[in-house]
Amino acid sequence: MKNIRAYLSTLLIAALVITSLPVAAAPAASPSTDLVSTQSVLANDSGLADRERIHQLLNRADIQDELVKQGVDLDEVEARVAALSDAEAQQMANQLEELPAGAGVIGALFAVFVILLVTDILGLTDVYPFTR
Amino acid sequence: MATIYRFQNARLAGVLLLLCLLSACASTPSLRDTTEQQLPRQSELADVPFYAQTEYQCGPAALAMVLTHQGVDTDVETLIPQVFIPGREGSVQPEMLATVRRHERLALPIRGTFDDLLKHLAAGDPVVVMQNLSLPAFPMWHYAVAIGYNLDDDSITLRSGEIERHTIAFSRFDATWARTDRWGFVVAKPGTLPEGITAHNALTGISAYEELHGPKATLSSWQAMVERYPGHALAQFALGNAYYADEQPDKALSAFQSATRNDPEMGAAWLNIGLLQLQQNQPDAARQALTQAASIEGSWQARAQELLGQR
Repeated sequence: MKNIRAYLSTLLIAALVITSLPVAAAPAASPSTDLVSTQSVLANDSGLADRERIHQLLNRADIQDELVKQGVDLDEVEARVAALSDAEAQQMANQLEELPAGAGVIGALFAVFVILLVTDILGLTDVYPFTR
Repeated sequence: MATIYRFQNARLAGVLLLLCLLSACASTPSLRDTTEQQLPRQSELADVPFYAQTEYQCGPAALAMVLTHQGVDTDVETLIPQVFIPGREGSVQPEMLATVRRHERLALPIRGTFDDLLKHLAAGDPVVVMQNLSLPAFPMWHYAVAIGYNLDDDSITLRSGEIERHTIAFSRFDATWARTDRWGFVVAKPGTLPEGITAHNALTGISAYEELHGPKATLSSWQAMVERYPGHALAQFALGNAYYADEQPDKALSAFQSATRNDPEMGAAWLNIGLLQLQQNQPDAARQALTQAASIEGSWQARAQELLGQR
């Protein structure tokens, strides 16, 4: 994973340098006629500069590392991270630890059993189906 | 003795009051009058298949239900390595949405209100909801699939955990749902847009699909969005880019032009019109569009000015 990151970083730095050159180096007669993409307009609307988008690409390598550390399969991790949109990737990179992870109906600690039993009966929670 | 009992009672009452305050007391969410009138009294999407969760796999189970309901050939076992995070013993929201897209379906967030939830159910779309079944202090995050409701007894029916038809009171459900800021999403085939999805959420969901599958595969979804929101400049703009990727430059041009009609201040649309007309060897028309783009302050101004200067 370290290798992928190092490789990706180099690649991106190179890309950054190259894309910032043409203004000076490219022949003036042939400006790029690539259209403005929908995603760059959306990113622009939400206040993201190009530099931040590149930063997000770097983040994806971090997310991969982190997911592998959390036990995600090596074969799957790349496809999983690739499926995230830029905005989602940013969310994952910034706050993976704090994001709530839906796990479901599993036994609660005994210490809180009584409290949850009461709140269940009050209709505030939905932990023990037998309270209904 | 009597005083001790009284003290204990007071303490119990205090604890209950505190709990009540901490978790905001459960009250039946009130629907807007118009919603109440429009909705059928009850509705249940009985054809949503049920997959029981094992251990911590409510995320994969919920996805299996809505994806197979939308015709995807998958199951819980396939989805576990795609969305479950062993270290967290659960699945996180961004990956729930991303996994839907991997199976070539749109993941569209819903507006987090009780009215919207019921409207989606009435329109025939099961909703994946995230709840905190427990109290904020000891969270128990959970994904379930809402499939039905009954306005006569104020109850909602979920496919949840190991229970195929988990029917609970609106108030109890809303107390658990409110703890995730009422987070939920629906799943749709590309080229369709479920009733009641806001323009902003459609844009987010379809654009995320495009990031993964490319503009060609997303063309039909942009068409569906423009049909629903014809006055939305950004949707027209996105449609233009998808037509362009699909090698239909004339349709692309007319979509970009619709975008500028709906929002004359949209520099990116003027710029794309100009670029497209340059490619089509219409320098005069291009100059007009680029002049417009160059006159609008913002991120696209510089490029338009540069193109004008170089010609």
